[in-house]
Amino acid sequence: MLDILNEQLVNDHIAHPVCFDNDCREGICGMCGLYINGRPHGNDDGITTCQLHMRKFHDGDDIWIEPWRAKPFPVIRDLVVDRSAFDKIIQAGGYISTTTGGVPDANTIPIPKHKADMAMDAASCIGCGACVAACKNASAMLFVGAKVSHLALLPQGQIEAADRVHKMVCKMDELGFGSCTNTYACEAECPKLIKRQNISRLNRQWIGALFGRDRK
Amino acid sequence: MNLPKIHSISKKILVGALGAFLSFFLLFHASANLLILRHDGGEWYNAFCHFMGTYVIVKVMEIGLLAALLLHVVLAIWLAVTNKMARPKGYHKLQRSKTHTGSKLQVWTGILIFACLIMHFTDFYFVKIGLVKGKYLAKTEDVVALKTTQPNAFNYAEQHGEYSAKENWLTNFDKEDKAVLEAAGLEVEPDFYHQAREKFKILHIAISYLVFFAVVWFHLRHGFAAVFQTFGLYNYKYGKAIEVLGQIYTWVVCLMFTVVVIGVYFGL
Amino acid sequence: MKLDSKIPAGPLAEKWTNYKASQKLVNPANKRKLDIIVVGTGLAGASAAASLGAMGFNVDIFCIQDSPRRAHSIAAQGGINAAKNYQNDGDSVERLFRDTIKGGDYRAREANVYRLAEVSGAIIDQCVAQGVPFARDYGGLLDNRSFGGAQVSRTFYAKGQTGQQLLLGAYGVLSREIARGTVKLHTRCEMMDLVVVEGRARGIIVRNLVTGDLERYAAHAVVLATGGYGNLYYLSTNAMNSNGSAAWVCHRKGAAFANPCYVQIHPTCIPVHGDYQSKLTLMSESLRNDGRIWVPKKKEDAEAIRAGKLKPTEIPEENRDYYLERRYPAFGNLVPRDVASRAAKERCDAGYGVGTGYAVYLDFADAIQRLGKDVVEQKYGNLFQMYQKITDENPYETPMMIYPAIHYTMGGLWVDYELQTTIPGLFAAGEANFSDHGANRLGASALMQGLADGYFVLPYTMQNYLADQIYVGKISSTTPEFDKAEVAVRERLNKLTTIGGDKTVDHFHKALGKIMWEYCGMARNTESLNKAKKLVSQLEDEFWKSVFIPGNANEMNPELEKAYRLEDYFELAQLVIDDAMHREESCGGHFRTEHQTEDGETLRDDEHFMYVAAWEYQGHGQPETMEKEPLVYEHIQVSHEVHITYLASGERPSQGPFRDLSFGRHLARLFFP
Repeated sequence: MLDILNEQLVNDHIAHPVCFDNDCREGICGMCGLYINGRPHGNDDGITTCQLHMRKFHDGDDIWIEPWRAKPFPVIRDLVVDRSAFDKIIQAGGYISTTTGGVPDANTIPIPKHKADMAMDAASCIGCGACVAACKNASAMLFVGAKVSHLALLPQGQIEAADRVHKMVCKMDELGFGSCTNTYACEAECPKLIKRQNISRLNRQWIGALFGRDRK
Repeated sequence: MNLPKIHSISKKILVGALGAFLSFFLLFHASANLLILRHDGGEWYNAFCHFMGTYVIVKVMEIGLLAALLLHVVLAIWLAVTNKMARPKGYHKLQRSKTHTGSKLQVWTGILIFACLIMHFTDFYFVKIGLVKGKYLAKTEDVVALKTTQPNAFNYAEQHGEYSAKENWLTNFDKEDKAVLEAAGLEVEPDFYHQAREKFKILHIAISYLVFFAVVWFHLRHGFAAVFQTFGLYNYKYGKAIEVLGQIYTWVVCLMFTVVVIGVYFGL
Repeated sequence: MKLDSKIPAGPLAEKWTNYKASQKLVNPANKRKLDIIVVGTGLAGASAAASLGAMGFNVDIFCIQDSPRRAHSIAAQGGINAAKNYQNDGDSVERLFRDTIKGGDYRAREANVYRLAEVSGAIIDQCVAQGVPFARDYGGLLDNRSFGGAQVSRTFYAKGQTGQQLLLGAYGVLSREIARGTVKLHTRCEMMDLVVVEGRARGIIVRNLVTGDLERYAAHAVVLATGGYGNLYYLSTNAMNSNGSAAWVCHRKGAAFANPCYVQIHPTCIPVHGDYQSKLTLMSESLRNDGRIWVPKKKEDAEAIRAGKLKPTEIPEENRDYYLERRYPAFGNLVPRDVASRAAKERCDAGYGVGTGYAVYLDFADAIQRLGKDVVEQKYGNLFQMYQKITDENPYETPMMIYPAIHYTMGGLWVDYELQTTIPGLFAAGEANFSDHGANRLGASALMQGLADGYFVLPYTMQNYLADQIYVGKISSTTPEFDKAEVAVRERLNKLTTIGGDKTVDHFHKALGKIMWEYCGMARNTESLNKAKKLVSQLEDEFWKSVFIPGNANEMNPELEKAYRLEDYFELAQLVIDDAMHREESCGGHFRTEHQTEDGETLRDDEHFMYVAAWEYQGHGQPETMEKEPLVYEHIQVSHEVHITYLASGERPSQGPFRDLSFGRHLARLFFP
């Protein structure tokens, strides 16, 4: 839709086209993200902006499109925001420390299927930032919770689990994200339908990190 | 201002823990309140209040409770302020996501509750610490013996209040009677039974309390499950159960409070 | 130009081991003195940067998106192959190697492919250690499924999001290196030119996409991992920002471009539903297991459907043309992907297309009747759901519509065994190079190749190159070569912004895509290619006259980005056409209608075309010169039978009665080998 608007703007030499982020157009890259008529990714569940179709609107409707609004997501231009805060949270510890080579055979550690499946559900986060955009507190808890859960559910990730959650939450606070007040707008707007249970697990991990013995 | 550094989740956990403590107190408070519905001249209820007012562990806990309340409020407002700061520029369009409304209102219901609490304290709690005056009772060793030892006081008591031979106390005195009784050397303490019965008879007070309970209902309804979520106990297995439990708890607590007010109003 | 593939001596199975044993290494203290630039953060780029960073090199990594995690590797659905033989079904390095060579129609280099198969197992180990949540069975061990042209189950998968999970794994280790300071990340930066100093790749010029500034980065070596050029066709399954420009500027600077005509087409994409559409979405080919493909038998019915006057469910059975079942009774709807794609296009061109005229029906009514809705839902539920989300039609009630689309490009920068291009110091990895897939890629092999290059090949072979670079010292970015390159880029951008015509870039891109799809798409012949060549030249002339780019080069300007990418596509299109023209045979993703069997299958000409065609740039508008790298098959015997390339991406229809066999006449081969 914005393609058309822009093509028209260019055709009619009216204005500079509206800048907006987009890439894969199939709801997996997480690049697109617009706040449409009061909902991140528009008025449908479990989709990204690029998967929202014009048929979800009525003829003659006004459509309000806004960029993500949050302190850690400064607007770059028009509808383009800078989401590098998410990268910084991941860089703070959202990984398992491995170097190439020198790892055991893939089947050395069996992982219960339901746990692997839960980890997969959490890992399906595309980092689009809709959770932050939707949250009244601009909180990144669902994003952080999904990553922490994904790795904490796997035995490979448990080794660094306590450290990871501590570092990621500290980074999250430092970057100026709000905190979770259990509104679950994030869950309602997540294009990958990531569940709030992941936030709960994040909290649990945090308590474990504070009081457990896994961290200095 | 240099605020101590507490991580966001820790703050939330604290608010949650304090909230859990407070809501547990509510259950306790509500069940005790049911005693008001007994037409026993305050025998049981006042006995309970006497215990609460004198037992040393309870007194310590009382301070803890007040501290918890204040901390709960301070931390929650602190969180709310930082949360507001996380989005300096808001959206033009109102948010239309499907969410738990309880949470969006939590801060506001909390503030309302705090306002209502001031009313509640003026009505009851401040009487106890002597800030305002209410209904009083006087405890004696032996009410019957009082008749002979201090007949003046006893007659005064009989005219202005009631007495219970069984519990050995004189009850239902107004504030102006307090001085007389004290002058007679009697130990005077608040008479919450009669006070409640008197207050809840007044329509606007009864209604304002019902509003109060409704707000508490909102606050609790969200708060209960949220505490589990914040403590990391909300999971795929028990999530539903926790929510149901939260509903039951909220309804039970609020209904118990409500029943007392409505009951008293209609003279039960 | 001389092509030296640098294949190590020795028996095939020992080549890589021998190479590693005798290659030059850089000692740890010297590694931090060496700078490496990696362009692209997809599987190949991220894994290479993370591995090189962890080893101690100074790495700068660049991506055009706002985060490394957005690279288009993320969209791969199906899975990743590895010769683990966890299923005990006879898989081995040797078999994976053979399948890949065969799948590539004997147009890939033996040694490279063998190495790919050899390191495939380690990729899975690596990914599991990184926390990639691969699917598991109830015992907690890794699950596999069969995929694209293999008789064994060797594909590891993570739901339908394998690419995403692998990329997030690589992104994780990359993030770790960024945090450690060994890798510096530059987002929203596009590589505009390669700087060659004294014959070696020594740096790049990038354009900051936010500010429009041109920036210089110097290094001892440059790794290009910028993916393929599928967007040349405008409508493809590639992401909007995927482009071939980074590879193309390297080509302009002297890197040979190999086999550009090999492009892969996927038969089951969700078709275009309007002129406004900008890209296509792929659906798993497993749908063809149970779906029946048809178009209306009568043209007037097709017209009525296109006009919206008739619903597909209203067309009686006898008026439906199940053209695949009609033409290929043995295979029916399970014909190989090339055949299915071409047949669909043929019907639509003949005027029987539905939807916008470029779609055919894939009907599940029979399957639902036969198996029950539950079974169908279990098997294809998520695909149906995706389809419904996109098209707003319920595939349980009305037939799905499908159409083929460009999906992957096997061609790319020519690289030797070390993945080094013809410019010393410039390496190419992943889809950006041409190396491992020959003329066609097997399903679930793209992810394997990207990660193999990044994790296990480049970290070794680059050291071999860098070993003597420790004496060079820090590379300066203020040399005349950098000045010259930057000025050239600036001129180029200014030229584009000052054309001042009245048409949008997309207008030209769409037109170019249409020409290429029509005349140099899944079927080509001399006539169509000649036509394409002429049309592309005309279009390019028009582009330079009448394109309009708003704004200027010194700001965020998506139209300008599209424009310079399109400018490169014009040249690339000419090369694809030239390559397709010169290759007088059909093989893999390259189908010349002049060269086909009676059954409409590809007909190779091994005698004359068993080579890699590496093209050298000769200046704008000049025909490029071609160098041949002969392909020598020492280890494998080239089968002269017609090979059926199966379902390059997406699941292989495994339910069909003819599983992996060629048309009926190959049936016997299985029983009497």
